[in-house]
Amino acid sequence: MTSISVHQLQKTFQTKRKAAGLAASARALFKPEYSTVEAVRGISFRMEEGELLGFIGPNGAGKSTTIKMLTGILHPTNGVASVLGFTPWKERQKLAFHIGTVFGQRPQLWYHLPAIDTFMLFGKIYELDDREIKKRVDFLSEAFEIQDLLETPVRKLSLGQRMRCEVAASLLHRPKLLLLDEPSIGLDVVAKQHIRDAIRRMNQEEGVGVLLTSHDAGDLEALCKRVIIVNHGQIVYEDKVSNLKRKHLTTKMVEVRYAEQVPADFKLDGVEVLKVGRYGVKLRFDTNETPVDSVMSHLSSIGDLVDITISDPPLEEVIAKVYKEAPTA
Amino acid sequence: MKKYLAIVQMQVINNIAYPGDFIGRSISIGIFLFIFAGLWKTTFTIAGTDVINGLTLANMLWYLMMAETIELGRPRINRVISEQVKNGEVAYILSKPYNFLLYHFSFGLGDSLMRIGMNILVGVGVTWLLAGPPPSLLGWLMALTTMVGAWVLHFCMMALIGLTAFVVEETNSFELIYQKAVFILGGMLLPLDMFPVWLQGIARALPFPYMMYAPARLFVKPEVDLFWQMLAGQWIWVAVLVFALAMAYRSGEKVLTVNGG
Repeated sequence: MTSISVHQLQKTFQTKRKAAGLAASARALFKPEYSTVEAVRGISFRMEEGELLGFIGPNGAGKSTTIKMLTGILHPTNGVASVLGFTPWKERQKLAFHIGTVFGQRPQLWYHLPAIDTFMLFGKIYELDDREIKKRVDFLSEAFEIQDLLETPVRKLSLGQRMRCEVAASLLHRPKLLLLDEPSIGLDVVAKQHIRDAIRRMNQEEGVGVLLTSHDAGDLEALCKRVIIVNHGQIVYEDKVSNLKRKHLTTKMVEVRYAEQVPADFKLDGVEVLKVGRYGVKLRFDTNETPVDSVMSHLSSIGDLVDITISDPPLEEVIAKVYKEAPTA
Repeated sequence: MKKYLAIVQMQVINNIAYPGDFIGRSISIGIFLFIFAGLWKTTFTIAGTDVINGLTLANMLWYLMMAETIELGRPRINRVISEQVKNGEVAYILSKPYNFLLYHFSFGLGDSLMRIGMNILVGVGVTWLLAGPPPSLLGWLMALTTMVGAWVLHFCMMALIGLTAFVVEETNSFELIYQKAVFILGGMLLPLDMFPVWLQGIARALPFPYMMYAPARLFVKPEVDLFWQMLAGQWIWVAVLVFALAMAYRSGEKVLTVNGG
């Protein structure tokens, strides 16, 4: 079943403009200037129930604006959308019972109080009874490993701890769909991993669909099966994450360690040598131009191999490549 | 309904999260009353009379106590809405299953309940010392009843100012203008009885006296006719402002731009 269906969604803002300096400020008082920003320019896509969909793009690409239209917070300039059968901006309150939202850069937990107070409040807001709230808090605190954090004032938590509580709070009412806007922003590797693991678990155990916007390619690789890449308010790529990697991930990185010393003038046709160490080399090559097996056989002919690592380049590079190929504004 | 009560309760808890700050804020009414008591004592001495326009010095001080209690305890919801619009937090408020205006009504109520309660406690203590025992039970009854309408009117005005944040983001200047209107036309600094008749007429045609003068005046001089007149006036203005608020919200939410993308 489809959980999100979007057709030709558009959002245009009027933004005030002002040049630097006192004179420009004075002028702007009497004759303000506005510019039109086309934040979202005719986006269309579908998302199935229980799907993990990545919605990625650079700053200002229109990701957050799209999410805010899908939650009903913003009214679109044009286009239609259906989220779990509701038109978000017309039926925002009804829809709110079925979705969870996390805007990574902003807190929803009451800052001066322990997270448990916000959990109890949200329970009441989502019209759960006390027993259900308690059961749910117990489950989520175990899933997100926040048992020891619940009674600490939110302001005393680290960003990673707070984000785990934020995401857990958004799942209190068993939403069918979770809209995560940059949930990993500013987090360290361990904190990111914690959140990803918990989200994956909620998807597997409760079937909650996740629409995730992120700058972090790691979120995408770790969580999503399908990806939509947006740039300048338009969809520039939509496919499975695995296909994205296969089509745009033709470059391989190889790191080799030998038992003997490597010649300082190490060279290989069709291969870019990134680094030559005393006992090892780091290489990059395009599999379309240089087959993997020819590189491997050449490397093994040089000496006794101690270790070899073949990896894909970071997804950021892949996305950058897709951006470059996409139409610009 | 339960969810709105939970929001009231949450804001009460939030208010006492920092006990030192809470107590400090509560003491401020005592300082204001002490200063105004000095001013009015001097005024009555210079005038050489015990009664000015029907009010004694004790009446004046108890009037001030009630007016200050309302002023210091009224909702400041415009600041909350403005801050939420500026930092983008409004996105969360709008993505939960409650009515935006009722959320802020409950939030403001939770905030005011604690502050009004403490203001009355400290205010009564200080005024009792300065002016003698408080007015009659009937005065308390009429004042507390009309305080409800006064609070709702303050909320409506603050929320109307707050909603302008959807367009202008910063609302402090509007609040300052509003505050001064309440100080003068609402009869906070000076009861309406002391105004020239023409100014009383202008003030009474506006909602401001119902927000401040009504409970304070009925507190010190409870009169049944005035009580019903003020009560009716309050709720007529409530109806007008709630309608204006609903209209403003409907158009405001369409033009809202959430900061930060």
